[in-house]
Amino acid sequence: MIPLLLSAEAEADAPFVTRLRATGTSMHSADASLVESDALGATFAGKSGLFAIDGATADDLDGDVVLVRPQAGRVERLLRSGSPHNTLLVTERCDQLCVMCSQPPKKTHDDRFDLLEQACLLAEPDTLIGISGGEPTLYKDQLLGMVERVLTARPDLRFHILTNAQHFDADDISRLRASLYRQVSWGIPLYAAEPALHDEIVGKRGAFAQLEEGFAHLIMAGARVELRTVLVTPNHHALPDLARYVAARLQFVEAWSIMQLENIGFAKGRWSNLYVDHRADFRPIGMALTLATLHNVRAQLFNFPRCTVPADFRKYAIASISDWKRKFASACEACREQSQCSGFFEWHPDDHAETCVEPL
Amino acid sequence: MSFLPLRSRALPDGETIFVNDSGRFFLGADGFVGRLIDGAETEGDRISLRAGGHLIEDADSLAFAAHRRAVARRIAPAAPLDYLILVPTLRCNLDCSYCQVSRVNIDRAGFDWSEETLAAVLATIDGLACDRLKIEFQGGEPTLRPDLLRAVMEKAERFAQRQFVICSNLQHIDDELLAIFDRPDVFISTSLDGDEVTHGRHRTKDAETTSAFFRNLRFIVDRYGPSKVSALPTINAATPPAADDLIDAYVAYGMDSIFLRPINYQGFARKRHKQAREQDEAWRSYYEGFIHRLIARNWADQDRVLEETYFSIGLRRIFQPGRERHVDLRNPNPMGYDYIVVDHDGAVYPTDEARMLARSGVIDLSIGTIEMGWDSEARELLNSHATNQFDPACMRCVYQPYCGRDPIDDLARYGRIDMPRHDTAFCRRHMHLFDLIFRLLYTDCEKVRYSLAQWLRLPSIPDSFGEVMA
Repeated sequence: MIPLLLSAEAEADAPFVTRLRATGTSMHSADASLVESDALGATFAGKSGLFAIDGATADDLDGDVVLVRPQAGRVERLLRSGSPHNTLLVTERCDQLCVMCSQPPKKTHDDRFDLLEQACLLAEPDTLIGISGGEPTLYKDQLLGMVERVLTARPDLRFHILTNAQHFDADDISRLRASLYRQVSWGIPLYAAEPALHDEIVGKRGAFAQLEEGFAHLIMAGARVELRTVLVTPNHHALPDLARYVAARLQFVEAWSIMQLENIGFAKGRWSNLYVDHRADFRPIGMALTLATLHNVRAQLFNFPRCTVPADFRKYAIASISDWKRKFASACEACREQSQCSGFFEWHPDDHAETCVEPL
Repeated sequence: MSFLPLRSRALPDGETIFVNDSGRFFLGADGFVGRLIDGAETEGDRISLRAGGHLIEDADSLAFAAHRRAVARRIAPAAPLDYLILVPTLRCNLDCSYCQVSRVNIDRAGFDWSEETLAAVLATIDGLACDRLKIEFQGGEPTLRPDLLRAVMEKAERFAQRQFVICSNLQHIDDELLAIFDRPDVFISTSLDGDEVTHGRHRTKDAETTSAFFRNLRFIVDRYGPSKVSALPTINAATPPAADDLIDAYVAYGMDSIFLRPINYQGFARKRHKQAREQDEAWRSYYEGFIHRLIARNWADQDRVLEETYFSIGLRRIFQPGRERHVDLRNPNPMGYDYIVVDHDGAVYPTDEARMLARSGVIDLSIGTIEMGWDSEARELLNSHATNQFDPACMRCVYQPYCGRDPIDDLARYGRIDMPRHDTAFCRRHMHLFDLIFRLLYTDCEKVRYSLAQWLRLPSIPDSFGEVMA
């Protein structure tokens, strides 16, 4: 696992964003240059003064865009150099309470939009920046303002924003039609075609109806959407119906990701009730993939190790897990398809991972 | 208030196919049809119709948005020019009885590109704004001028995605030509009418010429693998080869896609094969029989998937609009925009058939020249009739969302474009094709369903290909 949060000490009092440079080339005014380093850490100096980071070497950190929080004694690696998997957390508040939530929400909101915007502006060329929560659109105006300013200054960047899509209204359509939103895709969860089942899974009555309104606005805005469905016991056998629903009403989505459960957050404590062993009954998942493909919906499987998926469906199982939180079972070393494989989340139970793989 | 954008067509066996404006469909059994006519739908009927996007309630803004988008998706936009069909020479070393382009003898002068035409073609390639390019060399026999092929290919090196298709009769191959074929971005398209006797009948005629072709085809397939070559048969509908013989001829060369194409009523065929103007019932039953042979063979040998190219195109247009780019079946059918034909004399035509008509002296459908451009009044005139959207017959047809429009085909056969649609060969062909597809989509036969799933590139056979309202 690659650590994203490190301890740090800084001269400054207020939090600041900077880009770390271990070598002295092309200095930007927001860059911090290396002062000294050893195997345990590195010290940098920038316009906010000196700061020292523990637990990573200067080479590891070179090019990272970080948020230094002196009061907390922490540094957050917001945008790791060279990584395709960078996600900014804009709030921990949420208006849903999904049964499997991997990042259970909090009541308080720590507004960091200004700092995150500075970080985006320092991103490497052509970076895809993920935005997550909580529910980012609870702060819709700040979010859209940040995205628009960043993309105006940096048209090379792209955003992927996770949202429950329940806070868009008709007035947003013309705003979201702006051409810079071609650089933005929205990752939106939908768990079932049956309103009551979806509402039950997300822990919010009326969520399905509100979400349908949101989809209607996004269609009219020409928005790019990735639909996301986490597989849990309650929706396992409802997946073919969901595929028919997607084909009939949500054919506009760019992709439909069916995601195997993460053993973290609420799902950890509810694992035995929620986890579906897809090896034992792949049929509903396979039928959903077939129906989606029939109707021109690009379906994909996230977090399904390739060897656990029947051969005819293996092409749907992609390397979905971010590098910093991915692991493989020991038997995976011998597998020819490891580079195309999701592997497992770092927090997936080892005893389960070790017993369910068969190297290809 | 609710909105029911449905059309219907009774199928021969008594059931009715319903298709909405976006191309979504279902099969209605007698009971349902009766309730619908009487305005006596049950709540269950309405729920199913709503779920399928066939019944749209005022308050259902998602259904409206999805429907509008799906209707829009059926309309093919004219993309920027990225596909050139080039005719560097009209000369040919064969004399097929049904030659659709009225080729000239190999020793004739004045039927190759001039210096000026070549320069204008190269300048056009330089001016293209796209990052991918497809070039198809037609003829005549384009391999008679390898120098021109090379000049064009060198000019197109800058395109990251490029594909050159050389349409050749493969009668003559030498080292100079092989150096061109060796390029991985070069593909070969040829004609293969069936076994040696069938192929020789209208094309190669004498035994030596026939065996030269089969020798060369074998050599090419052995050297590059079957994915390098595609082939088309031209079928004389009066004496078609046995389906299995034709399939065997293709399978022998590793080719799985067969585009079953009756003689094109163009060029020399207009005089020598007059019956080719219309395809009759005999042709249609041959075509159906052929599809059923493919289905049986696919089931018997699941290691390969044989397909009839046009059937697969029709099938995919029902479910997957925009997935592929087949310029012979689309709507609208923008002409002279995303692809053009540059003839041996530098004239620009909207389609290959348009060039053939001019060559036959029927009507000059050139829209300009490669030197002077083709943004012309003639192009505008053609495009004002290049859609089925407002045709009174098409507007009532269930298959309109999947179908296309081809004014040039109408001109070729009837000399006019305002024929009642049902009286055109184009319409009859496509009504038959889509009727056949829908019959197959709703059969219970596992063998049929297996082939359909393969032709649609599905990972498994779906529970059903479409809903049934009982």
